[in-house]
Amino acid sequence: MYYYILDQNGLPVDKFEKLQTELQGLLAEFKIAGETARVTPLRSVQDLVDTASQRGAKTLVACGSDDTFNLMLAALKGRDFTLGFIPFDSESTLAKILGINNVFTGVKTIAGRRIEKIDLAKIAGNYFISFLEFGVMSHNIKKTGTWQSLKLLSSDAKSFSIRVDNSYTLNISGLGGLVANIRSTSSQAEKIANPTDGNLDLLILERMGKLRTLAHRHHIAEGLLEKVPNTSVIKCKKIDFLEPRGLPLTMLGRVVAKFPASVEIIPQRLRMIVGRNRTF
Amino acid sequence: MNTMLEENLNAPAETVVGPSVKIQGDLNSEGNIKIEGQVTGKVKTSQSVFVIPGAKITADVLAGNAMIGGEIQGNLKISGHLVLQSSARITGDISCTVLRVEDGAIFSGKCAMAGNGAANGKKGSVEKDLEIEPE
Repeated sequence: MYYYILDQNGLPVDKFEKLQTELQGLLAEFKIAGETARVTPLRSVQDLVDTASQRGAKTLVACGSDDTFNLMLAALKGRDFTLGFIPFDSESTLAKILGINNVFTGVKTIAGRRIEKIDLAKIAGNYFISFLEFGVMSHNIKKTGTWQSLKLLSSDAKSFSIRVDNSYTLNISGLGGLVANIRSTSSQAEKIANPTDGNLDLLILERMGKLRTLAHRHHIAEGLLEKVPNTSVIKCKKIDFLEPRGLPLTMLGRVVAKFPASVEIIPQRLRMIVGRNRTF
Repeated sequence: MNTMLEENLNAPAETVVGPSVKIQGDLNSEGNIKIEGQVTGKVKTSQSVFVIPGAKITADVLAGNAMIGGEIQGNLKISGHLVLQSSARITGDISCTVLRVEDGAIFSGKCAMAGNGAANGKKGSVEKDLEIEPE
């Protein structure tokens, strides 16, 4: 049984209602209608995942933004579902990764049921498939203007202490970085952020001169830190963020944990319905 | 092969240790490793290791191929090709199949080289000892 979790998540009411109507029509047309539940102030994504589990649903579909999907992942708590995603947000990074453009291709993808097993990352009891950021973050660089982003990238470097794979400790003076499982630029041919290789990629950005910052601002905004000179790239299975204590780890701007925190990869853990044009 | 190693140097390595990084502990990888910072601990990969000028490793290096431009205080056990660039400073023993030492490289230690027979696991392998005194 399909269980659809609909999340307005900041969308104007009229646009959300329109998308909801379009979705219901398409689900009936593709004969994949199941139970549909809407997130409200009284029913969180967590509550709806619990309800889906009680009703015996096998496939959970998040309909909303990337945040909706991430909240759904966090609410799984080890329970076994096949997951899908239908984007209500045209800027969705996850939609690009999965090869879905809009509600129509989302429904068509769910109906196609092309399932891929992908790696799942775990942090502080929560799960994610995409990436986490710390320090100066690409999410902020993307959202701000040129001058504000240059100011952020000219800020003082922080001293990070990170333990990798319980094997070595890395001490680095840098601006920030990211831990990637999947990015919108991921592919099976890519060595970095390949969601099927059973590894996480830790990328740490060092402080740069103004000219270099200007030249590579777009790479940083896209999270392509490996294209910035002097960036450290570490492939690993487990990362313990030790110092500086209290520094937030964020997912699309939402704080999910603070240093000290531990991130690890669970290979091939997630069954995900993906589109033909997926990036991996 | 050396040209191939040099080409690989510009290709994206699986693991890159940036210039401001200090690593303490054993660094293991399944892909190419490029070291621009400091490592105090064993470096191990079946692929290639590139130690950039200015980088420093204080421990043993075990790799398929290696191109060294920085400083190493430890033994190098390379199953394939080893290139010591002019800026290389090695204090320790090395073993490899093919060795190239550029003018200006400083190497203090023993060198054991296995011939092709040894590399291919055939009988009758040749082993040579070579000592180069520092300049």
